[in-house]
Amino acid sequence: MNDYPPPIIPKPALAGAPSGLPTQPPLGSTPDEQAPIPGVVAAIESILRQPRRVMYQLRQSGSNRLTAGMVLVAVLCSIIYGVVVGAFSGGTQLWAAPAKVAAGLLISALICLPSLYIFACLSGSQARLVEVAGLVAGLTMLMTILLIGFAPVAWVFSQSTESVTAMGALHLAFWFIATYFGLRFLNAGFSAHEDRSGGGIKVWMAIFILVVLQMTTAVRPLIGTADTLLPTEKKFFVTHWIDSLKTTYDADGRNTGLTR
Amino acid sequence: MPAPHISVSRSWTGSVGLILRADSECLRDWVAQRQRFLLSYCVVTIVVGAGAYGAVMGCWRDALQGVYTGIKFPLVILLTTLGNGLLNGMLAPLLGLNVTFRQSLMIVLMSFSIASVILGALSPVALFVVWNTPSLSDLTRLSSPEYGFLQLTHVVFIAFAGTIGNVRLMPLLRGWSPNASIARNVLAAWLAGNLFLGSQIAWLLRPFIWDPARPVEFIGREYFRGSFFETVFGALLRLLFS
Repeated sequence: MNDYPPPIIPKPALAGAPSGLPTQPPLGSTPDEQAPIPGVVAAIESILRQPRRVMYQLRQSGSNRLTAGMVLVAVLCSIIYGVVVGAFSGGTQLWAAPAKVAAGLLISALICLPSLYIFACLSGSQARLVEVAGLVAGLTMLMTILLIGFAPVAWVFSQSTESVTAMGALHLAFWFIATYFGLRFLNAGFSAHEDRSGGGIKVWMAIFILVVLQMTTAVRPLIGTADTLLPTEKKFFVTHWIDSLKTTYDADGRNTGLTR
Repeated sequence: MPAPHISVSRSWTGSVGLILRADSECLRDWVAQRQRFLLSYCVVTIVVGAGAYGAVMGCWRDALQGVYTGIKFPLVILLTTLGNGLLNGMLAPLLGLNVTFRQSLMIVLMSFSIASVILGALSPVALFVVWNTPSLSDLTRLSSPEYGFLQLTHVVFIAFAGTIGNVRLMPLLRGWSPNASIARNVLAAWLAGNLFLGSQIAWLLRPFIWDPARPVEFIGREYFRGSFFETVFGALLRLLFS
């Protein structure tokens, strides 16, 4: 016996069950999942710890408020992370980068939303368009709050390095990690919507990643500086990356420039 | 009747033994209910343990360098923990370990605390090594064997302490997780994040042992520039292309 009550062992919660785990029970099978989400703070808490609660609430009537709240959080977090991105170059980029990051993410989500609904239907999902929009809002919110988690690390690097390419690679790595978890949430959401194959969703995920990557090139510069706010030359994102690498490192592997 | 481990945990010296033995039940109890004690305990052990080791590291060059490194080394650990606190707190539930932000911060601090206690205990040994190493002179270069030997010794000691610190955390995480793979994933994610940020912070706060080009100083002006990974990448490119 001891003086203290036994520690509370928390229940496991995965934001999107990875493949290989046993099939999840139907949404709303526990009282925890049925608990309403009163505000954005609760939405953030829920998407990290009880993602199924968010999925369940998105199925209920009046889920528009939750969706709007998640979009709002995504925009706010994008703006905050954008400030960190812009802090590398300072000046105009302090307001331009947050605007571009937030707008870029929202536009990418809007561009991809119709195709997600179609692919979901093709995969046999019963999700309504409102629910699909809610899941995309959840995806963007989870992505951006994770980016906020990375923000202190990104800031440390942005204040010490001079290389645009290095900062670009770092932000890209953080974005990929955040997107992985966001897409895992989305996938779990569709699994709970009786999605039979999941193949359509996987195709959509590839499309979404390509769209966002291209968006970073379409609204460049996000990290360095340029004469114009938006690019005057159209480029594929891979070409842009290769050009940036070529500018930074010469044929001997020496760092030759492309700094802030 | 209270269990022996709880009564021992009330004293600081007893706590060192408990932390090193990684009694998962007791540590879990601390993380859940005695956070203030644990926070102060971890910060003090990091400042004392890592500070003592840092002082030994720097004293090869100069007593003042020892003081500076004694301050900087715990600073690297604390800044890394704080910088990654939010991220670690988010990654844990996403990977399946449902702990609060504060609890995740405590667990990571505890890991660093274990490493610092080990480093503090190894600091007399490191001091003996430093004392037996030929002193710094005008002839000493970055390529000198004595400098290389010191660097290697410190790397081995720090890597050993860091490894034990993380390994000791595993039973605690295992007790909180539904299965071992979740505990492993969380530990790996935290470790990767801490190594990534810690390397950069250590890079920014260098020198820890010696810089032949500069006088003894806390942080040289030119040091708050560049990135650890960029330098490694650049060196790798030069190596491959030359």
